[in-house]
Amino acid sequence: MSDELQLIDAAKRGSVEAFTGLVHGYRERLFRFLLTRCTNHADAEDALQDTLINAYRYIGSYDPRWRFSTWLYRIAIRNAGRLRTENLAELGDPEDDGADPLAHCIADSERDNLWRTAKRILSDEVFAAMWLRYVEDMSVRDIADVLERSSSWTKVNLLRGRRALEAEMNGKAGNAGSEAYG
Amino acid sequence: MPEVKHMDELARRLREDAATIDADISAQLDSRIQASLAAIEPELARQRKPARRPVSFWLASSLTGMAVALAVIAVLNVNDVDEPAAVTRTVAENRVPPPEIPALDLDVEAAMLTGPLTRELEDLQADLKRAEEVVRGDVRIDF
Repeated sequence: MSDELQLIDAAKRGSVEAFTGLVHGYRERLFRFLLTRCTNHADAEDALQDTLINAYRYIGSYDPRWRFSTWLYRIAIRNAGRLRTENLAELGDPEDDGADPLAHCIADSERDNLWRTAKRILSDEVFAAMWLRYVEDMSVRDIADVLERSSSWTKVNLLRGRRALEAEMNGKAGNAGSEAYG
Repeated sequence: MPEVKHMDELARRLREDAATIDADISAQLDSRIQASLAAIEPELARQRKPARRPVSFWLASSLTGMAVALAVIAVLNVNDVDEPAAVTRTVAENRVPPPEIPALDLDVEAAMLTGPLTRELEDLQADLKRAEEVVRGDVRIDF
């Protein structure tokens, strides 16, 4: 039995220490991902906290046939989506007031950060698929599971996302960009 | 801006740019998360945890069970003895007295028949013939 499965087993029996050790390597990665999904830094923090709490509370339902990271990201996406919906209902569109957490979290660079470009031209789901593929190295099957989409949809939209980003980078952001919103 | 010619180059840049996003978890957020985790329990772990009961609990449960069983047996036996009497009482109590019929003050005399009906008829006819002759004699009218 791998270390991760041992920690999962201990966490299922109620060990907070085991769960903390289990998610230790995922926390920063999750938080970075949530910063791209949420409308402000505070929401990303809340989403991370909710994700870890939900994961611990319902770890008994975790199926070891899934990769643990896949299961964790699925919870994270749901929490981020819920927070965004609540914010939209209460405050309107918070992106209008320049609260984009990426703007504050990206180090100054000579060129634009590709993920900011991606956030601007891709739909939320395609952006998430691109992130899970190129940052988390997930397979198409795992990405489809996280996004609750088919493998075909995932493949097509990964390709569209790549083309849209390439076109944007090469200064051809006209027609290709709109393809990504499929 | 350099032109991206290969997909590997795009992938490399996406990884590099993701790494520039500052995702440090503050000590405050960390302590908040730890406190939240300590306050909850996994759903299944909570369900599976066996309830530890003291020996006195099992002793008290057994005694209570026996007492209840004895009480039920006693109640059933008492009900068995009393049941027929109760039924009898119920029937007696539920009997409705017959309505009182007022006594009629009748002056009844027994019929004194002196002979058979044919003889009685001949007597009546003879009385009638005699009464007819009396009337003829009185008015002298021939019928």
